[in-house]
Amino acid sequence: MMTKRFSCSTCQSADKPLGQFIADLPIETSFHRVEAQEVKCEFGLEGVCCRLCANGPCRITPDSPRGICGADADTMVTRNFLRAVSAGSGCYIHIVENTAWNLKNTALAKGTLKGRNALERLCDMFEVTGADVYEKAVNVAEAVLADLYKPAFERMELTKKLAYAPRYRRWEELGILPGGAKSEVFSGTVKSSTNLNSDPVDMLLHCLRLGISTGLYGLTLTNLLNDVMLGEPEIRLAPVGFRVIDPDYINIMITGHQHSMITALQDRLIEADVIQKAKAVGAKGFKLVGCTCVGQDLQLRGAHYTEIFDGHGGNNFTSEAILATGAIDAVLTDFNCTLPGIEPICDGLQIKQICLDSVAKKANAELIDFSFDVRTAATERILDDIIAAYVARRGEVPLNLLPEHGNDNTLTGLSEGSLKAFLGDTWQPLIDLIAGGQIKGLAAVVGCSNLVSGGHDVLTVELTKELIAKDILVLSAGCSSGGLENCGLMSPDAAELAGPKLKAICQQLGIPPVLNFGPCLAIGRLEIVATEIAAALGVDLPQLPLVLSAPQWLEEQALADGAFGLALGLPLHLGLPPFVTGSPIAVQVLCEDMKTLTGGHVLINGDAIESAILLEDIILQKRKALGLS
Amino acid sequence: MRRILIEADKCKGCKNCSVACMKAHVPEGTVFSLSDPQFESRNTILLDSEEKCRPLFCRHCDKPACVNSCMSGALVKNPDGHVLYDRDKCAQCFMCVMNCPFGVLKPDRATGTYVVKCDFCALHGGEPSCVKNCPTEAIYVKEVE
Amino acid sequence: MKHVIIGSGAAGITAAKVLREQCENAEIVILSADEAVYSRCMLHHFVSGERQVEELSFISDGFFAEHRIRFCPNVQVTGIDTASQCVLFDGGSETYDRLLIATGSESFFPPIDGLSGTKQVYGLRDLSDARAIREQAKRAEHIVVIGAGLVGLDAAYGLVKMGKAPTVVDFAETILSANLDAHAAATYQAKFEEAGCRFYLDRKVTEVVRDGAGNVSAVTLDSGDTLPCDLLIVAVGVRPMIGFLQDSGIACGRGVMVNDHLATNVPGIYAAGDAAGLSESWPSAILQGEVAAMNMSGTKTTQQDTFSAKNTVHFFGIPALSAGRLVAGPGDVEDCREDRNRYQKVITHDGVPVGVILQGDISRSGFWQYLIKNKIDVTNIPKSIWNVSFADSYGLDENGEYQWDV
Repeated sequence: MMTKRFSCSTCQSADKPLGQFIADLPIETSFHRVEAQEVKCEFGLEGVCCRLCANGPCRITPDSPRGICGADADTMVTRNFLRAVSAGSGCYIHIVENTAWNLKNTALAKGTLKGRNALERLCDMFEVTGADVYEKAVNVAEAVLADLYKPAFERMELTKKLAYAPRYRRWEELGILPGGAKSEVFSGTVKSSTNLNSDPVDMLLHCLRLGISTGLYGLTLTNLLNDVMLGEPEIRLAPVGFRVIDPDYINIMITGHQHSMITALQDRLIEADVIQKAKAVGAKGFKLVGCTCVGQDLQLRGAHYTEIFDGHGGNNFTSEAILATGAIDAVLTDFNCTLPGIEPICDGLQIKQICLDSVAKKANAELIDFSFDVRTAATERILDDIIAAYVARRGEVPLNLLPEHGNDNTLTGLSEGSLKAFLGDTWQPLIDLIAGGQIKGLAAVVGCSNLVSGGHDVLTVELTKELIAKDILVLSAGCSSGGLENCGLMSPDAAELAGPKLKAICQQLGIPPVLNFGPCLAIGRLEIVATEIAAALGVDLPQLPLVLSAPQWLEEQALADGAFGLALGLPLHLGLPPFVTGSPIAVQVLCEDMKTLTGGHVLINGDAIESAILLEDIILQKRKALGLS
Repeated sequence: MRRILIEADKCKGCKNCSVACMKAHVPEGTVFSLSDPQFESRNTILLDSEEKCRPLFCRHCDKPACVNSCMSGALVKNPDGHVLYDRDKCAQCFMCVMNCPFGVLKPDRATGTYVVKCDFCALHGGEPSCVKNCPTEAIYVKEVE
Repeated sequence: MKHVIIGSGAAGITAAKVLREQCENAEIVILSADEAVYSRCMLHHFVSGERQVEELSFISDGFFAEHRIRFCPNVQVTGIDTASQCVLFDGGSETYDRLLIATGSESFFPPIDGLSGTKQVYGLRDLSDARAIREQAKRAEHIVVIGAGLVGLDAAYGLVKMGKAPTVVDFAETILSANLDAHAAATYQAKFEEAGCRFYLDRKVTEVVRDGAGNVSAVTLDSGDTLPCDLLIVAVGVRPMIGFLQDSGIACGRGVMVNDHLATNVPGIYAAGDAAGLSESWPSAILQGEVAAMNMSGTKTTQQDTFSAKNTVHFFGIPALSAGRLVAGPGDVEDCREDRNRYQKVITHDGVPVGVILQGDISRSGFWQYLIKNKIDVTNIPKSIWNVSFADSYGLDENGEYQWDV
């Protein structure tokens, strides 16, 4: 008799218990769909399919080297690429825009601002002030918003204050200093439309411009503004994985990137009358279960939220499985990465889906207006909906928990501030370790998980293991962190997997060889770490023994992040190429010419061992150039 | 006979051939949809261990194992060389599916009651739609002995 | 040259067709005990009422005219006079230059007390069996099938589709024990049981009881159970139909004895299909009919493909296929996986597939029997065994036909 398992073909997973859990599920997940999508269209893969006009789709082959309009492979590819980077940038700019508004509105309403020190640092950086914290916060937020809304021809003012000076000069020389961040997205969309720009190099330079606005505003500033509102990260050990799900509570899984949006609700969930409501229907109270980057963000600031947040469950492609435990009563979505694949699962398991931002409206979800002035009322409605879902589904829907999954001692709460504080308020100890060769170099392993680089988190985890074995300290931000922490690499015990020198340091300090900076937004924090170290050494970023890798990049946002990395002049490793390989010019510019433009370059390798060797070689070359042995 | 020849190294995996095949076999009065399981392609593209595209198209073999295993007379090698399938005669034993040494044949997905089999686009003048829709000429029709 | 073929099954019909392709001017005669050409594998569709007699044919309407074949139905061959090269039958005879014995097989009735001579007892081998079963089943209330192999279950399935719920008895512990493993068999058994059938497995019928009129009234099992019965179908196997060859001088063992060219010990006389007892499957009969015809027409041909350990099963909308070993033996490695729609098992020995069972989804899986038949080592294919396919041995010849590059 056949089992109830949905399908016997699921993709691999670095997280083996998760892979087995999904393989045994009676429902379909992304893991199940990989095989049927195995054959990829080469035109799409190489970026040489153009659908910009009614003459299309046109595709490039040796017999048809140009589209009907005359666009060649280079134009098609870079146009498609610019569209993708623009969209990715737009996502992050949307996040920082909402975050700045949340800060402004919170300050105007004299709401809670947990990160006073963070606010002071921003005021110093922006050279703004105010009569009290609220006025200061309003001014900071307005400075950000003013930049975001500038036209494309007017440079953003904070760029110079945020950027490392040598970088800023280089960008100025290259003419890629961004105008208003929203306008740059707009320009990217226009440039890549039908029969407009056909200059591949111009379009790739526009990608760098978008990379700068994305990185400094979408990433860095989102973190810093959130720190003001939500509190600064504090280093601590925390539980991760499916073990954080406690079925005795009404559980809300959160997906997205806009942490400042859900705080109103989050704070309400631990108030006595709300807990009483939960108890009235048989639950102990409410819990948020972290998923995707907003979960990472909450974990990062977990020290401030111990009551409501039990821990991070997992990353993007873990979300379907978390729902399949049956113990989640509602999904609260503020942004991506919210897979469409959760919809039939939510339907089947009677899980209430709520969206707080129309950009992330899921087909079966209720979109609730959560703008600042109506948040209080909306929160009450959401609470009632979730309680109703809990009452309707608990007892009906079977539980399928995985309480042994994950671990209890993942080191979290790392930021540019908390790490520096940990080191004694100076980067010198880290610089000394790097200079002394105990730490060979730094690798920022960031980005998403995809299911085609050997499987879920497979390349990320394998590459990370190879890097730490070579005494390279790994810093992670994004869904990569979700995979690495659930696989145990962010627990102090993982020191055992590091090379002898790195292992000794980790054991001495009680830290893991892979440091968790949290959400993908924290790529901005990594940039601050790198910049401060470079400044301490008096060198530019491309000279540092530092590499960037997004082994399992997934989305358009990751492409915008990558453009930031290239603008910073960093070597950028990817497990799979973006859809540009059909253009000789794009490949030449990204992989070679970029070295003379910004100092960075792209390298593609899908093999963990080979990739680690390539990245180690780069680090060794940079060490040598700095005169380090 | 006329056969669809294959230059596998030219295949880009775009699946135009599969979509063309589905569309060429839409029953009259039915609206084609890529989301409707009743529409199936007779051809497919497999990947080898190096992830190279390996198009799988019925060869209308000189010695067709499918015809040899058909106990209902539904599969017949025509005088022009093409192996044709008569759905009404088929007794659904699927011995042909088992015996095709290349694994080309399959029962239909939606009902499991007939065999999905290339007919060389007999209803389209014997000019295979897959060939017409291949952007790289990885497949083409040629008279062979 | 005059070719005479006894039998109009898969082997006989194929031989006639190939003979015509090879010999433009030869005379070709088919002597058949049957009233028409039909596929024995489809008789259960007649029992169920899904097909009429003419819908059981596996040849086209104009087949005999087109191939200039003289088809003589309802001819019961009684003997062969090899000296005068003459086939004898009730009411006549037919001379031959070359003769093919393709009489197929007949149902085997085991020596069970009371079975012989009891009425309302049938095999399911001939159209006459199917007619009788269908007629009797309309009135029968207690139908028993002895044998849970493919023929027995075909009969049961035909009866289920008539709205009947037969009881099936088999001495094996599982149904379809020659085609599937216990796990796959259980899936079908549950479906048959859902349809009202009952199974007595690991049980032997010890006695067939008849009433005063000589009709079957019950069967008794070795467990002591007695099953009421008013229609008994016996499907425990077949035996080559070679009784008429006694005293003909044509050497017979279990079947007609033939060499690699399918020639018997008597020059000019060949045998193919079930009558030769080599393997009992449709594709084998076709291939043997072809080989025999080539040799009869003067082209020395050897039987190449003798692999017949493969079959398909299709009941209740669930297809299955098996090839080679069903259960792992010493030194074999068994891989299994299953889900709500599929059960799959592959047995390998030193990296070579030696057995496969696929149930539920058999799409594009024909390459498995090829791998097993040709003992193709898949160890060096850097893929999970489940993803192995023809793509890993993909080759094309100059005529565009596929060939296995191994």
